[in-house]
Amino acid sequence: MTLAVALSGVGAGLGVAKAGTAPETHVVTIEGMRFNPESLTVNKGDRVVWINKDLFPHTATSGAKAFDSHSIAPEASWSFVARAAGDYAYGCALHPTMKGRLTVR
Amino acid sequence: MKVNHIAGAAVLALAATALWAQGAGPTDPQIAAIVVTANRVDIDAGKLAKAKSTSEEVRSFAQLMITDHGGVNKSATELVTRLHVTPESNATSQSLQEGGDQNLAALKKLKGTAFDRAYVDHEVAYHQAVLDAVDQTLIPSAKNAELKALLVKVRPAFVAHLGHARQLQASLGKSGG
Repeated sequence: MTLAVALSGVGAGLGVAKAGTAPETHVVTIEGMRFNPESLTVNKGDRVVWINKDLFPHTATSGAKAFDSHSIAPEASWSFVARAAGDYAYGCALHPTMKGRLTVR
Repeated sequence: MKVNHIAGAAVLALAATALWAQGAGPTDPQIAAIVVTANRVDIDAGKLAKAKSTSEEVRSFAQLMITDHGGVNKSATELVTRLHVTPESNATSQSLQEGGDQNLAALKKLKGTAFDRAYVDHEVAYHQAVLDAVDQTLIPSAKNAELKALLVKVRPAFVAHLGHARQLQASLGKSGG
């Protein structure tokens, strides 16, 4: 369900990219204990989707709790709309070796 | 305690590599039994630690091991069922089970900080040994492409668990007591 929304969002984002105003949807894949891409820059209003391709739960949790997915089950996803500009270091709250960065401009 | 820990690690390392040194590596049914046993042993240790530890950090780690290794075993079991591979008990899987049983017996005699340290020390040794086995024996020996792919897919989890266990080990070392 969320994935379908995410993918249609990607399509919509690509379709109107040149207009420069329509929000886009960005996908971060969690697989092999990594966020891919590890570092992502988006515009305010864009949606970011994390899809968990590992065999156990992960989270996407920013340091200041600007966003927190809580547990994302295997093959499930979580998304949020990045409304506040900033540079967010985030990680998996369950696996402290996993790190990512989201920049909202 | 230190002696037990080193001996336990040595047993695991032996189980991981030396048993296959003289002949061909394990077959796919044997690899399946090794994978399932390795995960189950760590789930059992995690259940004991979750019940017995008084440290929030250690109990969280233990729950993570139960969840993650449970997830790996669920996928491994689904895969071997689909492939009609029946896990075949072998010297390595038996050695892992015995090592796990000995670890549980040793841990049951401890409490407090001594328990936490012994559990976490063993987690470090266990994940290092399993990682060595995955790299040196299991991935190179796996014949079925999907079984090999599953091993490659779960390898980063063992690396991350090892790093996590080492962080925990360092933090327990600093806490004194």
